[in-house]
Amino acid sequence: MSIQLENIHKSYGTQRVVRNVSLHIETGELFVLLGASGSGKSTLLRLIAGLMMPDSGRILLNDRDVTHLSPQQRGTGFVFQNYSLFRHMTVAQNIEFGLSIRRVNRDERERRTAELLDLIGLAGYGERLPAQLSGGQQQRVALARALAYEPNVLLLDEPFGALDVKIRAQLRQSLYEIQRRLGVTTILVTHDQEEAFDIADRIGVIDQGQLLEVGTPASLYQHPKTMFTATFLGTTNLLNAQRNGTSVHIGDAHLPVPPDTDHLSGKPVQLLCRPEEITLFTAPDAANGYVIGRGHVESINFAGSMLRAVIRLQDATQSTVQASLLPADARTLALTVGQEVWVSIGSYHLLSAVEA
Amino acid sequence: MTQIPLSYPTGQGAVAVKRAQAPSFGAWGLRFIALTYLGAFILVPLIVIQVQGVRFGLDVFWQSITRPEATSAILLSLYTSAIMAALNTVIGTLTAYVLVRYRFPGKRLFNMLIDLPFAIPTLVIGVMLVLLYGPQTPIGRFFDTTLDIQILFAVPGIVLALLLVGYPFVIRAVQPVLLQMDFSQTEAAQTIGASAWTTFWRVIFPALRPAIVTGALLSFARSLGEFGSIIVVAGNIPMRSQMGTVYVYTQVEAGNLQAASSVSMVLLLIAFGVTVGIDLLKWRRHA
Amino acid sequence: MRETEARSPVAIALIIGVLGYAALLFIAPLLAMINGAFAKGLEPLLATFQDPSVIHAFQVTLLLSFAAVVINTLLGLTTAWVLVRHRFRGRNLFDTLVDIPFVFSPVIAGYAMIVLFGRNGWLAPPLFPIVFAFPGILLAKVFVSLPFIIREVQPVLEALTPEPEDAAYTIGASRWTTFRRVVLPEIWTALLYGIVLTFARAIGEFGAVTVISGNIEGYTETATSFVFRALNDRNNTGAYGVSVLLCLFSVVILIAMNALRGRIIHKEP
Repeated sequence: MSIQLENIHKSYGTQRVVRNVSLHIETGELFVLLGASGSGKSTLLRLIAGLMMPDSGRILLNDRDVTHLSPQQRGTGFVFQNYSLFRHMTVAQNIEFGLSIRRVNRDERERRTAELLDLIGLAGYGERLPAQLSGGQQQRVALARALAYEPNVLLLDEPFGALDVKIRAQLRQSLYEIQRRLGVTTILVTHDQEEAFDIADRIGVIDQGQLLEVGTPASLYQHPKTMFTATFLGTTNLLNAQRNGTSVHIGDAHLPVPPDTDHLSGKPVQLLCRPEEITLFTAPDAANGYVIGRGHVESINFAGSMLRAVIRLQDATQSTVQASLLPADARTLALTVGQEVWVSIGSYHLLSAVEA
Repeated sequence: MTQIPLSYPTGQGAVAVKRAQAPSFGAWGLRFIALTYLGAFILVPLIVIQVQGVRFGLDVFWQSITRPEATSAILLSLYTSAIMAALNTVIGTLTAYVLVRYRFPGKRLFNMLIDLPFAIPTLVIGVMLVLLYGPQTPIGRFFDTTLDIQILFAVPGIVLALLLVGYPFVIRAVQPVLLQMDFSQTEAAQTIGASAWTTFWRVIFPALRPAIVTGALLSFARSLGEFGSIIVVAGNIPMRSQMGTVYVYTQVEAGNLQAASSVSMVLLLIAFGVTVGIDLLKWRRHA
Repeated sequence: MRETEARSPVAIALIIGVLGYAALLFIAPLLAMINGAFAKGLEPLLATFQDPSVIHAFQVTLLLSFAAVVINTLLGLTTAWVLVRHRFRGRNLFDTLVDIPFVFSPVIAGYAMIVLFGRNGWLAPPLFPIVFAFPGILLAKVFVSLPFIIREVQPVLEALTPEPEDAAYTIGASRWTTFRRVVLPEIWTALLYGIVLTFARAIGEFGAVTVISGNIEGYTETATSFVFRALNDRNNTGAYGVSVLLCLFSVVILIAMNALRGRIIHKEP
């Protein structure tokens, strides 16, 4: 079941919550809608589910216009962040609720419920009440309940947001496997960039009601088109630069022009470089990659498997650059605070310095 | 600890939550039913009394109000209800405090009995009081002959009946607030050296004041309209022990509709005003 | 606030004072009434309960009170739902209206009914008499017991999180099915409590009924108006006997109220 959104607008009073969003999601895709709190992502999901009506625009499920249909009529499955299980019903009764209102007979309901309990790894939990389950278990039941009646579209609104980090990782992996197995078109809404990267086929970045970019995790990370995407998807270094026809000028360095950036020619740009793409050297000739300047180490932070170093460049800008290095490399350099180093970059990208 | 559901108004301001807004024509039907229900049963009588009060002309209204029997009846209602509210405030607050704070034998039974005046027909309440404090009974006789205080058919009897009828109001208003109160405040006060009384007056009481006021006002408004117990206990002696509601009753029975209308309107307006006042206080607090 | 043992003399004095007041105020009168009912022995009392007009009065009371409960349950639930879930101009006004029957003197309500439905009334009914008959009594009972269900159900409805209902809608349940299977189980304790209160109030209603029902013995007499008439007729045993019986009803209702109240408290996590 493909999903198509055309020019969706939604406002609460004078506040525009969803602005002119258009989107196409392929059948069987696991699509992640990524944005900060208040970005409108949950609203968008509710519009697709029919829990709200858009002010204008169209919503199509498999080319069928559902814009004015009630949630009951759309055949979606929805998983809320929490508190959505029916408290007075057992786990099994929760799961089979969708089947019971479709008048599926008891044997079939029991069979299907057992099947689903297996799928979510809670076999034997059928007679328990939601209050007796942990948060993670409750969300699994909520998922099973949404899948029981074989919906065409699965919508999840920050389903793991209220859970511990470890449980979160486990559950999203389970979700991924289930989604792959069933092939159901899925939209997951989250603010957790790590979650998005982990399981998304494609990610849609949303900010202040606008859908900024859509792409695979890798392409959004490496070649973002907007400043917001660049900074939202992980730490990045942004350095002022100039691009003319053939090269990028940053400080005293000249770098080759990255592809697809002709439109930025002659304009002030920001050079985008991820911390892991930066290497530090003690001598300029030993450097590989593109040397952009010299600086001294301002701070070194321990981050588990990596070290994060902040380097202040000695050029006119005095800007800082974040580098992440493997401990082994740091030992090779004998990296210390105050040390003078040469900074070179590997892969990089350009963004317009002026945001529209 | 959750609030004990209150069986009388607390001016619940309905606050709508952002919920599924799928359109439904049934929603309009429901709203129509609800508003017609409230309109027919409540708005209509309200309007009827107000219109009846003034339809014979404002001077007629004034005349019937200022007749000595009418004025006396209204004033008696106000006076006795006020006394009752004042007494009830003190007793009710202390009772709620005792119920929440202390353990004692029979506490659960007592807590249950608090609601008795809600459950017993008011007429029966009147009968009960007559049987205990009537002129034939030992207590009644004692008060009458020895202390020269007449209980029944006089103000003390009326206040007694109103106290009974209004007994649960302040208690049930204050109890949930006390239950939810954080004990650490009172403990802190005690470690600082405050006596029990100071602790109560300066730490606990201010937090209770809104609930106490609500309960007191409610019992006051309720008493203005009380009839069943009053007709038995106070009888019907104009200018002496005739309450506003009894006056209305006798005038209706006698066919003097003007008199009945005007006093009805006054009593209703006062009670309605008190209710609205309570709700306003509640909204202001939540704003 | 936590419970503590009563140790200080102040505490003990308070407890005794509070309990003593309650004893004087209604426990003593209650006992006095029971005593008065049995004053002339058991036989007159039994005779009262077998008196056909007494039986009829009780039948009228219970039947009409039950009808009032049904009306107020259906319409009150609807109203509570609308007041909590709908937003519309004037909603606060209507919400305030719900409190009116608490303070609206039943006598005045009865008078209003006479003005509306009496012989020369504004809405003098063409088909059947209202004032001196069952419909009038029913209207009075509905009026005085109107707020209870609404006020008990409202807070519980307000406290419900929206997710379970939204979930039910996306699963495909109609609004009615969702109400029946998702909402009702959550509110039924509060609803039951409201029903009990409504029933108690409807049974005990006296003022309005007295004004409008004309107190025709054997036809529109309710239990409470029987007591009133018996008092006026100096039929003390009858008055006290029926009063005691009404009290018995009330005590049963009281016990039910408290059992439910306890359930409501313990239900919350």
